[in-house]
Amino acid sequence: MTFRNRALRIYTTVAEAVPALLLSAMFLSFILQVFMRYVIGQPVGWTVEVCAIAWIWIILWGQSVSARDEDEIRFDIVYSAVGAGTRRVFRILAALLLITVYLIAFGDSWSYVSFMKIEDTSYLDIPYNYVFAIFLVFLAVSILRYALIAVQELRGVIAPPANTSLPEDTPE
Amino acid sequence: ADKPVLKFSSVVSENDIRAEAFNMLAEKLSDDFEIQNYFGATLVPQGSELTAIQRGTLEMGIIPPQDIANQAPEWSIVTAAYLFADTDHMLDVMAGEVGQELDQIAADKLGLKILGPVYFGTRQVNLKPEKQIMTPEDLKGMTIRMPGGDAWQFLGEAIGANPTPLAYSEVYTGLQTGAIDGQDNPLPNDYNMKFYEVTNQIVLTNHLIGFDLLTLKLDIWNEMTPEQQDRFQTAANEIIDWSTQKHLAREEELVQFFKDEGLAVYEPDRAAFRDYAQAKYLASDFAESWIPGMLDKINATAGN
Amino acid sequence: MSPEFSLAVAIIVGAAIIGLPIGHAMIVASLTYLFVSGMDMGIAAEQMLRGLYGSYVLLAIPLFIFAADLMNIGSLSDRLLGFCRALVGRFRGGLGHVNVFSSLIFSGMSGSAIADAVGMGRIIINLMLRDGKYPAAYAGAITAASAIIGPIIPPSIPMVLYALVSDTSIGFLFLAGVVPGLILGLLLMLMNAFLARRYDFPTEDPVPLNALPKITLRAVPALLMPVILLVGIYGGVTTPTEAAALAALYAFVVSAVFYRSITLRDTWRTIRSSARSTASVGILIAGALVFNYVITVEQVPAAIRGALAGYDLSAWQFLLMVNAVLLVLGCLIEANAILLVITPILIPTALALGVDPVHFGVIVVVNTMIGLTTPPYGLLLFVVSSITKSPVAQTIRYLMPFLGIMIVGLGIITFVPGLVLWLPRLYGYGN
Ligand code: NA
Ligand code: NA
Repeated sequence: MTFRNRALRIYTTVAEAVPALLLSAMFLSFILQVFMRYVIGQPVGWTVEVCAIAWIWIILWGQSVSARDEDEIRFDIVYSAVGAGTRRVFRILAALLLITVYLIAFGDSWSYVSFMKIEDTSYLDIPYNYVFAIFLVFLAVSILRYALIAVQELRGVIAPPANTSLPEDTPE
Repeated sequence: ADKPVLKFSSVVSENDIRAEAFNMLAEKLSDDFEIQNYFGATLVPQGSELTAIQRGTLEMGIIPPQDIANQAPEWSIVTAAYLFADTDHMLDVMAGEVGQELDQIAADKLGLKILGPVYFGTRQVNLKPEKQIMTPEDLKGMTIRMPGGDAWQFLGEAIGANPTPLAYSEVYTGLQTGAIDGQDNPLPNDYNMKFYEVTNQIVLTNHLIGFDLLTLKLDIWNEMTPEQQDRFQTAANEIIDWSTQKHLAREEELVQFFKDEGLAVYEPDRAAFRDYAQAKYLASDFAESWIPGMLDKINATAGN
Repeated sequence: MSPEFSLAVAIIVGAAIIGLPIGHAMIVASLTYLFVSGMDMGIAAEQMLRGLYGSYVLLAIPLFIFAADLMNIGSLSDRLLGFCRALVGRFRGGLGHVNVFSSLIFSGMSGSAIADAVGMGRIIINLMLRDGKYPAAYAGAITAASAIIGPIIPPSIPMVLYALVSDTSIGFLFLAGVVPGLILGLLLMLMNAFLARRYDFPTEDPVPLNALPKITLRAVPALLMPVILLVGIYGGVTTPTEAAALAALYAFVVSAVFYRSITLRDTWRTIRSSARSTASVGILIAGALVFNYVITVEQVPAAIRGALAGYDLSAWQFLLMVNAVLLVLGCLIEANAILLVITPILIPTALALGVDPVHFGVIVVVNTMIGLTTPPYGLLLFVVSSITKSPVAQTIRYLMPFLGIMIVGLGIITFVPGLVLWLPRLYGYGN
């Protein structure tokens, strides 16, 4: 195994572990919430907050850091009908559009997220800028990901067709 | 020249009395400003009106005192159960010395111009079980839905119940199935959300005088001429007064409506509730952020 | 329509055509709108983050995904498959019938169409695809079509939203949804039977009747799932949102402890894959939250109000027009936004024309639910395509006949109010 492969494998493992742990936390919180209210009769409120934070992080982390091309939902009526060359041009254009807009938006987004340190979450008292920082990760990693896609396409790596039927989970 | 546009976001629905009041406000001030009303939290998600005004993406909003207390803890005093004896008491206090002190804090700390308290009803306990409730002890072990957030949940504890947070849209089915024993809201909300269809009694606890604050970004206020400020404040006072009277009348007629629907509607031992709640609040962290002497001033205003 | 808004719409369409994922396309278009309007682009972050953070009922989505995935890796769905085959497999297109029928059952516990598609729908899709007997896009299309029944039969989140804006009884609204839900289910099954003949879908080998008791017994744990959820919700143990977690717990306990059919390693792999599916669906909701801001600022609802005011309509012309307008809007705007923003505009006219508010509510909810399946902006459409991993265009092709028959159903619901109001009247409505 080359160093590059090993690094990629570690990245993939960590990238996928984060949303998986968050989903586990959501599951346990919900169960605890029902148990405390229905069985013990002492309802708790903080579980909702854990779930809401986990929900945001699963989505934005999952769609940037651990995103796979085949997981993304496309409106692919045209995209899947055109030839490989045209699709390459499409992918480069789409990547450039996303990179440009997200780069322009980064400053204002940063300013919103850092402004939100003015308030804390209700139960866990976490400043909202920490909770919402995942949006900046989402923007930054998406820019990098699409830059990589654009570079690959420019270097002539063949684009996969839309929504390819890869196995549900690639073997490790 | 084009009139300045003031975007005004509120959570109230388009058919609410307050929506009508805010449309009247836009009409009254139409010589100076173009106030754009957005109802049903369609412009700004519920709970983010305050930060949106501070960041300059919104000019006006109605903000719950609980949200203001997030950033200015001194405000948490007006979120305490049984602080105000009734609506008149709340209006007197907020218009008087205490209100001015709090408004000044909102101006200095948060950059908000507070135009006045928009009353939307007095919170009452609405229950499915038929057990008669006279004291906080009678609510022991009952699961009551309160809005999310620790200030609201504490309010539930302060009346002796087991509070649980639940989405507003899920309260009806929660009551229907018995996932919760009850909920607390002003009578107009009980009516709008049809809670009377799935509950058996309303205990007139009067535990919290419900109001939001009509607010404007302070910078905009400061840029007005004194005459404009005067017109703005007068118009705000007029629509707030109109809306308050409408709500009070509505609450009165709803008591009979709920009785006709077959619910038991009655007063508990309010003194017992008040003593229990005030002891809870004074022993809590919330009371530590209250301005010394303010509670006494508020109590002294009672009965005027 | 301002030039900025036209640009935003053009970008969504253009970006989608060149294959930018839909979620990103909506975010990119909204950000561009904010930029060219000279507004603070941080608004996009605010709308998305505060919107996701505050919408408690959406939290059911990841857990229904997780529950369905657990059922699939354990032997629960195999057992259910065996049972369904034995029962209706002998009919042509049998699993298609199972798909619709299970939606009817599950609509009684879920108030959200998306939850039905990602929960029960996902399980049935896997059953339909396992032996390669149905085209993936067909499985997706019938799942999307049947998922819309979920919020028409009570409980129902959209009906709660309608009651909120219309001052109508939630209890009577819930009752009014029952018959229309059943009508739609029946129509979908008829269409499935017709298509199964046309595409020559397989019948399963008939199962000998004496094997039926054993197969049923084997399927009991899977069949108990809806029962447990119904008891959980109607017995007051959980809220509809929390029921998703209970479903996941049940699937886990039965598979891992009772049957010992999954290992810790399997469980971890399932959690990872459920989290990935959650993110794919969630980013669509996130994008919609951001784009809804653009629609609100552009005062699109007010424009519709203005357009409607210009006509002098009779009640049935009005209802026909409402259906047309809502079906078109359903292609473009998210369902909750239609319910909360557009409906209040229409209600006063409906009442003035003598339309019953409960009847009107059912019409509106059925419309918005159909809108979840119509392109270009149809959340269900994207969700099922992502589950089946088939191109959206393929799904649309198979969906068309189902859409057609649902619009027929909508016509019946609209112009035969007696069907809708029969059950509420039985329980005292309007007396
Ligand atoms: Na339902
Ligand atoms: Na289905």
